[in-house]
Amino acid sequence: MKNRDGTPLTRAVLLSAVLMAGLLLGACATKPMDPPESLGQARDAIARAEQSDSREYAGSELDAAKQKLEMAETAADEQDMAEAERLAQEALIAAELALARTTAAKAEEVNREMERGAEALTDEMRRKEEQR
Amino acid sequence: MMNRTLSRARRAGAVTALALSLAMLTGCASSPETSPEVSEARKNLQELKNDANLAGRARVETREAEKAVVLAEESLAASDAELAKHRMYMANQKVEIARAKARTDYLEEQRQRLAEEREAERLANRTDEADRARSEAAELQRRMDARDIAEDEREAERLAQRADEANQARSDKAELQRRIDELQAESTERGIVLTLGDVLFTTGSAELQRGGYENLNRLVAFLEAYPERDALIEGHTDSVGATDSNDRLSKRRADSVQSYLVRSGIDRQRLSTSGKGESQPVATNDTAAGRERNRRVEIIIENPQ
Repeated sequence: MKNRDGTPLTRAVLLSAVLMAGLLLGACATKPMDPPESLGQARDAIARAEQSDSREYAGSELDAAKQKLEMAETAADEQDMAEAERLAQEALIAAELALARTTAAKAEEVNREMERGAEALTDEMRRKEEQR
Repeated sequence: MMNRTLSRARRAGAVTALALSLAMLTGCASSPETSPEVSEARKNLQELKNDANLAGRARVETREAEKAVVLAEESLAASDAELAKHRMYMANQKVEIARAKARTDYLEEQRQRLAEEREAERLANRTDEADRARSEAAELQRRMDARDIAEDEREAERLAQRADEANQARSDKAELQRRIDELQAESTERGIVLTLGDVLFTTGSAELQRGGYENLNRLVAFLEAYPERDALIEGHTDSVGATDSNDRLSKRRADSVQSYLVRSGIDRQRLSTSGKGESQPVATNDTAAGRERNRRVEIIIENPQ
């Protein structure tokens, strides 16, 4: 019996080694099994970007954010919280970029509009001048 | 034999587990390794900082990007490739966010400048319009002045015409006066009074004497020149003799003058006669000279109505 199952010492060493490996693995991963907070933050950021017409002005950035979020959710479902956290942060930052680029594009649009207005005014003045 | 083999296998398992745990431990530490894409993020960040339009804007975001780039540049073990990739992604995104924010800031500043330019242009436009209005007003004034000049010219013409008319009237009047003088008549309120002395008639007779013709012919010429004037012919006598016969005589003499004038071509309608007798003496009847003056025919040429 003893010979077949090995010595008690051998067993203890084996058990402790397995336990330690498990512990070390756990230490490198994020501890709790709840989905990370950043997941919610990423969702909020995507919603804000969509409300600001990012679909129109920064479609690819918004798509990237959504894709990252989806991946983060999948990772969370699979209890890979470290991956979920990273992907959620990436989704968040992608959504923020979408929003920032949307704001810049809108500002540019407004300026172009104003320049056209200014040109129209100048043209009008020139026409008036020519009529004289 | 079987037992030994099994025991060896268990030992090997234990060794593997130990080795694995060791690998895990080193996995959490780091080993030198650089990613070429990190330097890409650094390059982008540097480009942003060097952009004349964007540098110095979105300071908070740029600092965040800077931190992310520094973090991404940290060396990680090859086994931490996923984390390195994540940090690199974050760094790149943060640089791009900083760039977008800086660009927005720049555009908003540009907009402010545009608005000011437009305002200046509008102001210039309004100034132009004011100038135009002013020159139009000046033009209008000029035209009005020209019209005033034309008006003045017309007025001057009117005045000149009136002056001409006045001159004409004056010369007409002078002509009349000349003729009156020629007739040896005088202007009175009743009209032009021409007195023909008794040389015209022999005493007691109504026959015209040839010597009076000259005076009468001048009268005819006058009446022809002024056809709008009628004449009243009055005969007068001195007080010698009966009043009745004097009245009749003076009437006959007036009629005699009338007849002569009609014969000379003056319309009878224009000539009325009356005999005043001795009732209106112009001098004393006590002396011969006075009586001579009283014997007369007065022709009153009426002023035109």
